[in-house]
Amino acid sequence: MATPSTAPGYLPSALRVFDLSVGEMLWSRRTIFMALIVGAPVLIAIVLRLLDALGAPVFQVNGMQVAGPTVFGMMIWFFYLRFTVPVLGVFYGTSLIADEVEDKTITYLFTRPVPKGAVLLGKYLAYMACTVFVVLPSVVIVYLCVVPMRGSLGGSFLDLLKDLTLLVIGLAVYGAVFAVIGARFKRPLLVGLIFIFGWEQVALAFPGYLKRFTVAYYLQALVPHAMPNDNIVSMIQSFFRENPSLPEALFWLFAIMLGFLWIAAVSVERKEYVLEQ
Amino acid sequence: MEAVATVSRPIVSAEHVSKWYGQVIGLNDVSVSVPPGVTGLLGPNGAGKSTFMKLITGQLRPSKGAIKVLGEPIWRNPKIYFQIGFCPEQDAFYERMTGLEWVRALVRLNGLGEKEADDAARAALAAVDLMEAANKKIGAYSKGMRQRVKMAQALVHDPQLLILDEPLSGMDPIGRRKTIRLIRDWGRAGKSIIVSSHILHEIESMTSNILLINNGRILAEGNIHQIRELIDKHPHSVYVRAQDPRRVAREFLENPEDDVRSMRFEAGAVVVETGRPDAFYARVTDMAATGEFGTIDEVTSPDDNLQAVFQYLVK
Amino acid sequence: MPIHDQSYRHYGGGRAPAGRSWLVIAWAGIWTFLRKRAFLGVLLGTQIPFVIRAVQMWISANYPQASMVTPSAETFRAFLEQQSFWVFVITVYVGAGLIANDRRANALQIYLSKPLMRSEYILGKLAVLFSFLTIVTLVPALLLLLLKVLFDGNFTFLKNNLFVIPAITISALLQVLLASFTMLALSSLSKSARYVGILYVGITFFTSAIYGALYAITGSTRISWISIGANLEQVVDVIFRLKPRYATPWQVSLLVIIGLIVVSISVLERRVRGVEVVT
Repeated sequence: MATPSTAPGYLPSALRVFDLSVGEMLWSRRTIFMALIVGAPVLIAIVLRLLDALGAPVFQVNGMQVAGPTVFGMMIWFFYLRFTVPVLGVFYGTSLIADEVEDKTITYLFTRPVPKGAVLLGKYLAYMACTVFVVLPSVVIVYLCVVPMRGSLGGSFLDLLKDLTLLVIGLAVYGAVFAVIGARFKRPLLVGLIFIFGWEQVALAFPGYLKRFTVAYYLQALVPHAMPNDNIVSMIQSFFRENPSLPEALFWLFAIMLGFLWIAAVSVERKEYVLEQ
Repeated sequence: MEAVATVSRPIVSAEHVSKWYGQVIGLNDVSVSVPPGVTGLLGPNGAGKSTFMKLITGQLRPSKGAIKVLGEPIWRNPKIYFQIGFCPEQDAFYERMTGLEWVRALVRLNGLGEKEADDAARAALAAVDLMEAANKKIGAYSKGMRQRVKMAQALVHDPQLLILDEPLSGMDPIGRRKTIRLIRDWGRAGKSIIVSSHILHEIESMTSNILLINNGRILAEGNIHQIRELIDKHPHSVYVRAQDPRRVAREFLENPEDDVRSMRFEAGAVVVETGRPDAFYARVTDMAATGEFGTIDEVTSPDDNLQAVFQYLVK
Repeated sequence: MPIHDQSYRHYGGGRAPAGRSWLVIAWAGIWTFLRKRAFLGVLLGTQIPFVIRAVQMWISANYPQASMVTPSAETFRAFLEQQSFWVFVITVYVGAGLIANDRRANALQIYLSKPLMRSEYILGKLAVLFSFLTIVTLVPALLLLLLKVLFDGNFTFLKNNLFVIPAITISALLQVLLASFTMLALSSLSKSARYVGILYVGITFFTSAIYGALYAITGSTRISWISIGANLEQVVDVIFRLKPRYATPWQVSLLVIIGLIVVSISVLERRVRGVEVVT
């Protein structure tokens, strides 16, 4: 049987790795854990809807009724944007290659005629598919449960689309950033957490150019809702908040994503992976 | 003439290759040319076999020196993997996939379309006698089946060079025999194969061309019979624990055709040095079977192993 | 010349009394981490807030005009709260692989085939994490108190705030025990230290995120018991005789903390075994 002697291109190779990886990633314990995490706001939304239907004063803050779209915006902000997106980025992004190394299956991928960078890209695409497949339906269900309460589904539909786009971009950019951290650091999880819950929080609270070295600064420019404060850090951040324009934010987000993916690919190409004996 | 030129080019050439991991030296100034055909890489655990395997499969980069496989550098040269199939030592798979799915997915990375990949995967699984279990999840495979599916993914794209790292590890005797036969068949079909093991007689049954490695250095290379002769010149110690060791010893001395060179007694046993270990073992087996000399409880050779060979070779 | 026996000799020396094996496991674990330079760097980093607070103590003792930095009992409470970030980092760094790595290497069978009880094994592992976490919380907090007394040159602060010593001790121990037991329990659930770290992070931040979202929606802090961190803050506020920051009764928060520790112990009891029984 004649077998090809030229490899598929970079992107086709990545897509083939994607085919191989997406099933494994989707049915891993990590994804089940992720599904539980994104299932929680769905559960909360359903409970709140039931309570509201029973007449319980759930959507009242300081005696004032809060509309469904506002509540939806709060849930997007608090739960999805500040927690789910960066944490999923850390969980998956830092493990793209590390999981294969730990499971010792990396050998099979790195002894095929595909560039190592294409392997990383394929795994990244699989991460995007898994997270988008799980997170976006969760957001839609929350939307359907929460928004109709003193709000209109049609009226807030544009906000939903913006939120979905925002979350996809967030997953993509954080995933790329943490792919680099996963490729370069020995303890990527810790470094990733320090980045999100240390560096980003501090940098956003200071005036000046420091905040431009965070992903959150550009993502916040895309948020269509008000961003409430729940602690002193977020209050300080709101005091010094300055949003870039939408085109600028989008440009830098894509630049960060592509740039970090390129760095991750180069790092993986040059690194030696010594498997545990 | 062209065939001769092709045959004479080494499939792997290493020039002053060293590899260290921090303070630990994995390979120490190794220069070797591996000819086409089947070559056994032999060495005890920790000798550097796996390090050498990883270097020639491009998973590691030499700390010093240069490695070429099929005439080209291997590090960061993915296109060379069209011609190389690697069966690693570790028992690691995507357990949720079936054997067929897994081999098919891997060969797709070689650029095959869906249909071609499926055909190639089936052919490879048939070659390793695994078609019946092709649609079973790898997680449910036995140890021998797991080894075979590993070999299937190594040869599915019909590579010119097969690199097999401890392919017989964990296999039962029937599985070993089948695999050894497969390797010999592939060698006869014109493939070059480098197979590593720490068991001399396994390598011996696959090829006569071996590379001996120990402590990160190549100790010897070439025809196995030459190395065997070296072993035979060095007397073997055989430990025989028996009910009546003196009775057994008397029999050895009365019939010294197996070249009994020396003898000493230990508690409940006699230790014999012989220059013809194979014949001596056969004789002891016959003696044990007759029962005339009392029960013989244990027959071992403290130095019938590579370590002793190497110790002799490095003396 | 007498011929000496070269064969195996049975150990004839002294043996430590039974029940001290956990110390061996603890010491081995502690030394493993102390040998790593990166970890020593992190440990040094955990003392930065201590240094800052020590400077605060010194300034307040030597510059009476700097009254805004005069420490009170609340200062020590705030210090312990600040250290919770480092507690989190050290817990993930040290604790994730404590049992997971042993499970990965099939070492549990080897450990438990020795004259070692499961409780000793768990205690030894717990002691590793406990030691480092007390270095981050209890030790620097008590040192700060000592520094305060030394810089003041009198015991006035201590006499006026005698409860601070038991408050620091109990609060720090609560923080450390909660982190240690939960991390150890999670570590016993998996063979991958990385996955355990992810689980711990997920659970910690997940509960906070849920509470944050519900608080934003309802405006009420009665549901703060959902957040592990909030429960700890609530109880520590009460220990330091401060006004609790949430509307949840502190008894509920304490029950949640104790409940988590009990569940962790139960998980450890089931998971730390020499063999896995598959039915």
